[in-house]
Amino acid sequence: MLFKLAWRNVWRNKRRSLIVIGSVIVGMIAVILSDGLSNGMLRQMLDNQISSNILHIQIHKKGFNDNKIIKNYIEDSDRVEAAVNNTRGIKAYTKRVITFGLLSSANSSAGVFIYGIQPETEKEVSVINSYIKEGNFLGTGKRDIAIGQKLAEKLDVGLGDKVVAMANTPSGSIGSDMFRVAGIFQTASSDYDKVIIYVPIETAQSMLELNDKSNEFAMMLNDYKNVASVKEELSAKLGSEYEVLSYQDLLPMLIFQMDLYRESMWILNLIIGLALIFGIINTMLMSVFERIQEIGVLMAAGMKSYQIYFMFIFEALIIGIIGTLLGIAAGLLVHLPLSFTGIDFSLFSEALESFGVGAVIYPVLSIENLISVLIIIPMIAVAGALYPAYKAVKLEPVYAINYV
Amino acid sequence: MEILRAENLVKIYQDNGVPVHAVRGINLSIKKGDYIVIAGPSGSGKTTLLNLLGALDRPTNGKVYFQNEDITTKSKSELSKFRLNNLGFIFQAYNLIPVLTALENIEFSMMLKGIPEKEREEKALALMEELGIKELAHKRPNEMSGGQQQRVAVVRAIVNNPAIVLADEPTANLDSKTAQHLLELMQRMNKEKNITFVFSSHDKQVIEQAERLLILKDGMIVNEE
Amino acid sequence: MNLLLKLAWRNIWRNKRRSIITLAAVSFAALLAIGMRGIQIGTYSLNYKTAIELFTSYVQIQKTGYRDNPSLNNSFVFDNDIKNILEEESYKFTPRIYADGLISYKDASLGAALFGIVPSTEKNVTTVTNKLSAGTFFDSDNSNQIVVGAKLLENLNAKIGDEVVILSQGFDGSLGNQKFTISGTVKMGMSEFDGMAVFIGLSSLQHLLGMDDRINAIAFDADGLESAEILKRDLMQKISDPELSMLLWEELLPELKQLIEFDNVSGIFFLGILIVIVAFGILNTVLMSVTERFKEFGVVLSIGMPQHNLVKLVYIETIMITIIGLILGNILGYAVNYYIVQNPIILGGDLSRIYEEYNFVPRLESSLNAHIFFNVSLSIVIISIIACFYPAYKVYKLEPLKGIRHT
Ligand SMILES: Nc1ncnc2c1ncn2[C@@H]1O[C@H](COP(=O)(O)OP(=O)(O)OP(=O)(O)O)[C@@H](O)[C@H]1O
Ligand SMILES: [Mg+2]
Repeated sequence: MLFKLAWRNVWRNKRRSLIVIGSVIVGMIAVILSDGLSNGMLRQMLDNQISSNILHIQIHKKGFNDNKIIKNYIEDSDRVEAAVNNTRGIKAYTKRVITFGLLSSANSSAGVFIYGIQPETEKEVSVINSYIKEGNFLGTGKRDIAIGQKLAEKLDVGLGDKVVAMANTPSGSIGSDMFRVAGIFQTASSDYDKVIIYVPIETAQSMLELNDKSNEFAMMLNDYKNVASVKEELSAKLGSEYEVLSYQDLLPMLIFQMDLYRESMWILNLIIGLALIFGIINTMLMSVFERIQEIGVLMAAGMKSYQIYFMFIFEALIIGIIGTLLGIAAGLLVHLPLSFTGIDFSLFSEALESFGVGAVIYPVLSIENLISVLIIIPMIAVAGALYPAYKAVKLEPVYAINYV
Repeated sequence: MEILRAENLVKIYQDNGVPVHAVRGINLSIKKGDYIVIAGPSGSGKTTLLNLLGALDRPTNGKVYFQNEDITTKSKSELSKFRLNNLGFIFQAYNLIPVLTALENIEFSMMLKGIPEKEREEKALALMEELGIKELAHKRPNEMSGGQQQRVAVVRAIVNNPAIVLADEPTANLDSKTAQHLLELMQRMNKEKNITFVFSSHDKQVIEQAERLLILKDGMIVNEE
Repeated sequence: MNLLLKLAWRNIWRNKRRSIITLAAVSFAALLAIGMRGIQIGTYSLNYKTAIELFTSYVQIQKTGYRDNPSLNNSFVFDNDIKNILEEESYKFTPRIYADGLISYKDASLGAALFGIVPSTEKNVTTVTNKLSAGTFFDSDNSNQIVVGAKLLENLNAKIGDEVVILSQGFDGSLGNQKFTISGTVKMGMSEFDGMAVFIGLSSLQHLLGMDDRINAIAFDADGLESAEILKRDLMQKISDPELSMLLWEELLPELKQLIEFDNVSGIFFLGILIVIVAFGILNTVLMSVTERFKEFGVVLSIGMPQHNLVKLVYIETIMITIIGLILGNILGYAVNYYIVQNPIILGGDLSRIYEEYNFVPRLESSLNAHIFFNVSLSIVIISIIACFYPAYKVYKLEPLKGIRHT
């Protein structure tokens, strides 16, 4: 009954209620869009890193991740391989030799991370081959090398050009080898394109005097949600000589940033909510003051104070909920097409590429945020009605009835 | 001397598609110094007629001439200027601007005519003094009684020396004693300053004091005395 | 006072509560906008200044084409002609070489960004020599001592005083290596620098790379972002050699510039939304205050007030409320920004690591730049004028009779 009364009152001054609802809708669209963008950006950073290089889980000799020197190679490859093969939930894995070295062309040289990889299995786990812009990813040629676009520019080389890689061997001597550029890739990250190069694992092993050893086993799981359990199982099997690291361990800053964002996004919602609350207080006040006489009649007719109080609270709540729902609908209408087409930020492409995002951001909506606004905004509406409703209850019936 | 003439005035309202004949064919001539009361039962078209005469509304048919000039064809802004320069209005209620004092309310219509501030104040105060309401000068409407407010409204209506003052039931919200007071004031203005007044009223008191009385019924003048 | 102004002023205070809430909304929006813009702009200029003065410098002369293809080939001879011109004008400048190389200690080798500098003049241009975290800076430019990033030293597992080998490709394409002694470390709070930078005396590096008198860049100091532009123009006039290009800091730091622009645009977007929301509140208040006065308006229209004057009245009222709100918001905003300017917010813990990860200074500053206050106030005034369109239109269309009859 109270609710019905409140509902009718909302629509009594349609225009006024619609304007308040309109302001809530604008706020919602803004929340959904900006959350979608921030989320999408962080997700893209993470997805790009995982899919192009980091993968879900990596296994190294203990200490390699902190100090990527060639000497920290995996001694007992077979044992690790067996452990990986015996663990369920792993979709595919690959072996990598990783070391820091210098890559030189006739003109110039650059410090790079040399990745000796198994081209066939690397293609199964990572998507790096899909980033190839010119030429092909590593094929069967022993001297093939794939380098990033930025690095190719810096070294001033193109497909088929000769480059020399050089790096320390475990014994401390310098190993070097000549390669020909077989492919040039361009990922979403300019850093990546500047410092990572791929060569066949066998060539890297012979250049670095590693025999058949490698530094890393990297793998994708069937379902990334199982990372923790797979990681635990592998570390149990491999013991303390090895480090088994999940992508969370490997990208601590990014994960922290995502957590931080998740924990702080309600602040944005709150600020929008505060901007809305002034409008709601004013509307509810008007709603009370233009109905003083009516409230007096209701009081005289025996309506209790708390009922009048709740009548106004409900009125605000209805406005808040309608506004939030319509706002979410409108926000989704804007969001959905954009989440497919992405938003082109080419104007800032260099900055975004330095972040590893790419110039096109695909907004991603977080359900948590939707739930958070669904709660916060109606609550803000109720908060905005507290004072006006109090004013209504405080009226003296006699005064109210005779009010003109 | 004739100042206002209505010829064959007709006003038909549309009330949800149903035509309402509020005024049907009224001819009327108002002369300088007239003191006219329009009486008639509720719904007989008094307000409608006054609005047509005061150029607040356009007739469905017929003409209104002000000093032989047709005012029914004027534009909205021309009418606004016309009312400012030639007419004074007194309504039943809400006559005064609530946030302005009595003095400022009177000054307001002079301000609209562009009269300088000093002259405004002097003239308003002089007129208030003459009509014995000077002590109200700095009161706001909500500090005055209904009768006081209406008297201020009269002063405001006449301060620009209008050719005609139109008043739609100015005494309706007043008790008979206060109403009498107001009527005396307007009569005085009519006699002393030769200002033309046209009233509408149900009020016996008002009707009794009429110089010219028009009785309206169903949108037509049925009697004139 | 003008009667119209008086009328508007009193109308505002007629419904005190409503006006106060409206102007509180305006103040809130202004305060928030000024505070946020202050932090953004203050922090941007902090980061620009830090990045520029740390090592990049305000203006550089480089060989034309070096920026797109930063190889040793794109170097130029720092001859007396140029030196004389620069000295004559008493510019503060310093020559540099940049190269990539490997730095090895025992069995560890890591990538290094080799910077050949002249410490005595570098001091006048950038602050890098002050960032010593341990040890000493070599003072001669042909010393065999080097200074490395603190993180690099840690990654190499080396100590100050240890001997390292630096390997790099020389000017003629051949590889050269040479032993150096680490004399100190620098800490700049930017992960890229602290993990890669190696500072070597200019002559020593020229020798290692076989570059003779060639250098990659001359870096210049300026008094600030604006005077840097003037300096660049001067240099272009004085040294009109098509082989050489004068580059401004924003061309040298395009990523930082874009990053900040991106943040800037998203900040403006957010504030825009905030102001639009407040505009809805203003729209509602004005609409209400207008509709509830239709009777009154009807009377004044009847007595001959021109319609446009009534519209003017509505605008004056709205702008008055807006301006009072803005004055309040500006005062509060000024106080907040002043406080933050005096007491910058130092970001601690993990947050500071994120900032360093992206090569930002982990500190929030603010700004009292008059543009902030002006732009925020102007946007709010404009939006409140826009919010008034609809109520003003209603008033403009109001018929005197409708007003009188209106219930
Ligand atoms: N805007 C309108 N729309 C439709 N019908 C109207 C309108 N204004 C007046 N009428 C009708 O026109 C007729 C005349 O009304 P008017 O207000 O002129 O009467 P009145 O004589 O002033 O009555 P009262 O003494 O009650 O004030 C009435 O039937 C009324 O209902
Ligand atoms: Mg009437």
